[in-house]
Parts: sequence; structure tokens; C-alpha cells
Amino acid sequence: MILSLLFFTFSFVFYVVTTLLYLGHWAFRKKWLGQTATAMAYIAVFSTTMILIMRAAESGHAPFSNLYESMVLFVWATNVGYLVLEYKHRQRVIGVFVMAIESLAMLSAALLPYKFKSVEPLNPALQNKWHWMADILRHVGLEKYAIGWLDFHVFTTFIGYGAFAISFGLGIMYLVKGYFEDRGRRNAFVDIFPDTSMLDELSYRAIAWGFPFLSTGIISGAIWADYAWGTYWSWDPKETWSLITWLIYAAYLHARVTRGWRGKRAAYLAVAGFLAVIFLYWGVSFILPGLHAYA
Amino acid sequence: MARENGGRSWLGAAGSNVWYFFNSLKLTISVLISLAVVSILGTVIEQNKSAGHYAGVLGAKWAKVVMLLHVNNLFHSWWYTALLLALAANIVVCTFERFPPKWKSLLNHKQEKFDPRIIEKFAHNRSVSVSVDAATANARVGRVFKKMGFNVITSNDGGDHFFYAWKGALSRLGSDLTHVSLLLILAGSIIGSYAGYKDYRFINVGDTIEVPNAGFKLRLDNFWIDQYDTGQVKQYNSLVTVIDGGKEALTKQIWVNEPLAYKGIRFYQSDYGMAWDKIDTAYIAPVKRKTGDTGAPVPVKWGTEEKLPGTRYSVKVTGYLSDFAYDEKTNSVGSLTPEPNNPAVRIEIYNAGRLISAPWIFLKYPGIFPAIPADQDVDIAFTNYKPTLYSGLSVNKDPGTNIVWAGAIVMGVGFIFAFFMYHRRVWVHVKETGGRAEVRIGGMINKNTLLFEKELCEIAEYVEKEGKKT
Ligand code: HEM
Repeated sequence: MILSLLFFTFSFVFYVVTTLLYLGHWAFRKKWLGQTATAMAYIAVFSTTMILIMRAAESGHAPFSNLYESMVLFVWATNVGYLVLEYKHRQRVIGVFVMAIESLAMLSAALLPYKFKSVEPLNPALQNKWHWMADILRHVGLEKYAIGWLDFHVFTTFIGYGAFAISFGLGIMYLVKGYFEDRGRRNAFVDIFPDTSMLDELSYRAIAWGFPFLSTGIISGAIWADYAWGTYWSWDPKETWSLITWLIYAAYLHARVTRGWRGKRAAYLAVAGFLAVIFLYWGVSFILPGLHAYA
Repeated sequence: MARENGGRSWLGAAGSNVWYFFNSLKLTISVLISLAVVSILGTVIEQNKSAGHYAGVLGAKWAKVVMLLHVNNLFHSWWYTALLLALAANIVVCTFERFPPKWKSLLNHKQEKFDPRIIEKFAHNRSVSVSVDAATANARVGRVFKKMGFNVITSNDGGDHFFYAWKGALSRLGSDLTHVSLLLILAGSIIGSYAGYKDYRFINVGDTIEVPNAGFKLRLDNFWIDQYDTGQVKQYNSLVTVIDGGKEALTKQIWVNEPLAYKGIRFYQSDYGMAWDKIDTAYIAPVKRKTGDTGAPVPVKWGTEEKLPGTRYSVKVTGYLSDFAYDEKTNSVGSLTPEPNNPAVRIEIYNAGRLISAPWIFLKYPGIFPAIPADQDVDIAFTNYKPTLYSGLSVNKDPGTNIVWAGAIVMGVGFIFAFFMYHRRVWVHVKETGGRAEVRIGGMINKNTLLFEKELCEIAEYVEKEGKKT
């Protein structure tokens, strides 16, 4: 537990500092602040990667088996997604919003009660490994690190969540910028947001990444359930909520592609979609009873 | 005659109205959102409980509404199914209406000649003017398209040179594949719910069961539990053998997450426990009636006869009950619960090969009835036992599953096409005027306009600067 906890503490600090740097860059528009923020974001993603690696080493299985580990995975995926976006589009203001979401996620992971954090051996239903992978890894003695449908399921789902978190941040930015533009008001902070058309397009791009990953996550979850219980779909609350979220984003895509919904209405749907993700992730675990202990 | 015609046109009109109704993308969004909203109900209201449960939680009035609208089993209610079927009809009709024209206009669309003025009309366009002749400019355009992996057709018309280039047309098929995949998944789930079954079977170690609706049997050879060093359960395992046509067809170890599949039927580890009517071994000891001294117990395996040392007798275990009870009314014995609250074995006692007594003896109440009433010296006690474990297997047949997985694969391919490929079409017009080549570039992409802007920039820059670099 020690090394992963150490990296967790570092990462938490890094995310807060990164957020502050992006905020500083937004407020004072100093180029060096922005560059430092980006550098910090890279350091933070490295540190987050280390948490996951250390957890895997400590527990002897892929580090996605409880709520705490999955939060770290969420933060990791969101950060990687954001860095790709920043690299491609050079818009650091977006970092303020994404990093703020990540800091909050780290905070909530830190505040989780111990029972959601501890390194536990896998219970019988969670032991699902790809035989072919175990066979390959056996040659080098790393058989226990073979992954299976379950790990794949969690991993792809969380890439989806990360992308949706980014589209949420962009949707909020769109709505804020739209609010000022509609009223003809100018505001120095809002003016340096990217154009509304770009925010709109980027938010869509994020969803266009998130949707296939969420779908892959749902399907691989179904495959795993079929192995474990012999039923690929049993309408438990987690499954149903993942379907609800999926339907909302499917509606978003259709509204956009076939009915030309852009801008404000699309942004509202993007925000609604992420609220559904949050409920799917935390709400279902703590409010509704079901098979999924977390994730 | 007239009536027949009238009837036909009435039918035709209804049919075309229905067709029209389902040929709507507004309907798609309404159905998607409706499904999302009503599904929430199915997670907030616990499913498949009794009417009494809902009355307790929601009050009698709402409980009635729940039962009336089948909200207690929402996902299998007729109206939820109807929504799913509406989605399917929507997909079928829209695909029929939209796919053929799409195929014609986009996928087989090759435009050799066009009016150069259309280029300015595209939302994405660029014009560059380079100080080279038309032939050089054309060569550059050709090279940059090749470099970027575009398909190109060119044509000349006097001094006008036309390029039509495209890439990623498969992207357009992505949505269709996705929709077909949804139909497959729906079809698979419907087939599964009609042609499949799910059943549970409890098998004692050593026993063989008849598999429901299948021409073969299954034997449980062993059941055991693996533990971590900490004592937590690591895995539940069953070793099972398929017996088909009287022969052992295959033996496999199954565990949670590792089912056995044989002839379309799958067996899953789902439960386990101790048998209530059978044990593996009983420990039987001779007792001196006078002193109450108990001798060394002898392990007696179920169904085999064992000598009791120091006595004339041998014993055989023929019955077991985990929670023994005697019913006076029917004069019969049974087990009150499957829990080992009052374990008892029925033994047969032989003297020189002759059955002399067949009593029940009790683990917790040794000696309350003498085992051999005729013998004043020797009694027999049941001191311990090794239980027979049983394994609970879920037995499933779902012929729709493979169709669902086929749908999943098609969906994956559809997503790759739809989300990670983009259909670009670019029109280029080159004309030489006064020793300079005027190159106009314009076009469209079906999504990802940011990428397209960059690509157009790249093309324009290449045409403009490539000469300087080399
Ligand atoms: C849960 C149900 C559905 C899912 C997941 C789904 C998925 C998709 C996807 C992924 C796309 C491509 C979007 C993009 O390019 O960004 C799409 C486009 C489209 N969908 Fe659906 N779809 C569903 C239901 C329907 C239904 C019921 C219809 C009924 C007609 C429909 C009609 C269309 C049309 C016309 C397009 C645009 C095609 C194009 O622009 O090439 N979809 N859908």
C-alpha cells in the first residue's frame, strides 16, 4: 500500500497545483504559466500512471477492482484525453475546467472510506482471465498479471467516462460563453475561451470518442456476465443505468448528425449525459442495490 | 369489386401512413429519450417483487398503478417491448428509405467535371496562387493527394484542370452497420427468450443428472473450494463429466467465470453446499453399555459394509438426515431443514451376514435408544461424519447469444467506420493565368470539420511551398 499511497498523495498535490496553474494562466495570460501548467499536467499523468502500476504490483492483479482504483483510472483517462486535446488544439483555457474536475475526482477518491480503498484479493466472480494471455505470460512467469474481460470492461468504460467528462467541461464552457454572447456582454475571462463553434465541435469530438468506448465497455461487461452468470444482460440497476447513459448519448449523436442540433441544445444534452455518467458511477453504487460493487 | 378496391386502398393508405410514421428521425430521438426515461423507473422501483411489497413501499394506490402498468417487471412488459420494436421498425424503414440514395450519391459519386464556381460555395475552401505553370501545379496537387491517401480522378478542359478527390467513404457505412448490429442484437435477445431456458440443478458429488431437454447426462466427480492464505474464498470448483450415449464424452473443471459448453448447453458454477440426505463417510464406534466407554471410531463409507473391531458386528450406512425429525402422524422420518442441526444416520447392523437391526442413531444424542436391543453389552455410536458436498450448477441454453455477439462485432466495425473515419471530398480547379497557376481548393467532410480545415491548409501549403523546399 505504501508506494501507491505515496504516489496518490503526490498526484493529488500535482492536480491541485496543475489546476491552479491553469487558473493562473487564464487570469494573467502569462505564457510561462501556461507552459508550466502543461508540464505539470504531464507530471501528474505520470504520477497517476505510477499509482496504477504500484497498485497492480501490490495486489497482483490489474488495478481496477474497487471504487478507489477506478477513480484513479478515471482521472488518468481524463488527463490523457485532455493532453491529447491540448496537443492537437492548443487551447489551454479548457485545462482549467478539466483539471478542476480531476482535482475534485482526486479529492473524492481521497475521502473514500477505507473499505473502498484496501487491496483485496479478487473474489471468485472477478477472476476472469483470457487464457491466451495467461498462456503467453506464463513463459515469463507473469501469469498472474494476465487480464480478462472484466479488466477490459472497466478500462474501456473509463476511457468513455473520461471523454464524457471532457465533453461536459466543454459543454459548460459553451453555455457560459453563449450566455455572455447572447446578452452582448463582454468579459475578459470569457473572451479567451475558444470560439463557440470550436467548443461545440470539440465537445462533439469528445463524445464521438466516448460513445464507442462506452459501448465497448457495455458489451465487454455483457461478455463477462455471460461467463460468470450465464446471462449477458440481467437488467440490474448498473446495467440499466449504463443503457440509459448510452441512450442519452445516442440521442445526442442523432440530434446532432440528423437533425442539426448544435450549440446550446447539444451542450445541454452533453451536460445531461455526464450527469447520467456520475449517477451511473456513484449514484447507482451508493443509492441503488445491485450486483456491481463499484465502477 | 368496388368494396375490394376500397378495402385495398384503405389498407394501402394505412400502410403508407405507418411507413411514413416510422420514416422519421424525430421519432428516433423521441424513442431513444423515452426508453432512457422509462428505464429510470425500472431502476428506482425494485423489480419482480410481490404486490404486497409495493403496497408496503408505495402505498396501495401506487402499488395498483405499478401492477397495472407492469412496472414491477418493466423490462419485459408489453409496452417496453413495443418501444424496442418501434426502434427496430424505425431503423428498418429509415434504412430502406435512406440507404439506396446514399449509396448512389455518396459512395459511387465520382465527379469528373464541375463548375469551378462551386468551390467558393463550400464552407471550407482555399485559393492559392503560385508562380509556376499549370503542369507543375497539377503535379503538386496530384502528389499531395497521393501523399495524403486520397483517391483522385482528374480531367482537363482546355486550360481548366479538374481534380475530384475523396477519402474515407466507408465512414458513411458506419451508421448503417451500427443500425444493422442493433437489429441483430434485438433479434438475438428475442430468439434467446423464446428458444432458451435457464435452470438450476443441485448435484451431489458422485451423482449423475439428466440434463433438461438434452440427450446427455452430467456427472459431478468432485467439488472443492480454493482459499487464499487469509482464508478468503478464492474459487469454487466442480469437476464434471459429460456422459453422452452412455460414454464419457468429456471431463472439465469449471469454476465461476469458466463454464462448460456442450452441444449448445452451458453449465455454470453458481452454488454449493452440504447434502442434507447423504454423507460421504460416517464414523461409527462401539460402546460398552455397562461403562459407557467408547471405542475407536471406524470410518464407514456410504453404502459399504465395515467390521466393528472388538464386536461381532459389521455396519453399513444406508441413510442420513441433516436435521432429523419423526412425524408421529405419518410414522415417517424426514429432515426439518437442510442445516446439520440434528444429524442422524441410519445403519444396518449385521451379525455373521444376517441383518439384525437397522436403527437411526444420532450424533448429538448418543445412546438414547439402544442400537441393538437384543444385546446388553454392546451399543453403537455415531461420532462424526464427512459430508457429501453438492454443487449448484446453472444450466443454460441460449441460442440467441451468438447472434448477439455477432451484432456486437458488427457494431464495433460500424463504430470504427462511423467515428474514426471521415468521408472527405475535395474539388480542385487549376488554371494558369499570366504565368501563375491559380489553384482553388474546396470541399466537405461528413464530420470532424476541425481536421478538415487542417487538411485543406496542408494541401494548400504543399501546393504553394513544395517547390521551395526541394
Ligand atoms: C440505440 C439506437 C441507435 C444507435 C446506437 C445508433 C447509432 C448511430 C450512430 C453511431 C450513428 C453515426 C453518428 C455519427 O456519425 O456521429 C448514427 C447515425 C444515424 N442514425 Fe442511428 N442509431 C440508433 C438508432 C437509430 C434509429 C432507430 C434510426 C432510425 C431511422 C437511426 C437513424 C440514423 C441516421 C439516419 C443516421 C445518420 C446517418 C448518416 O449521417 O450517415 N438511428 N446512428
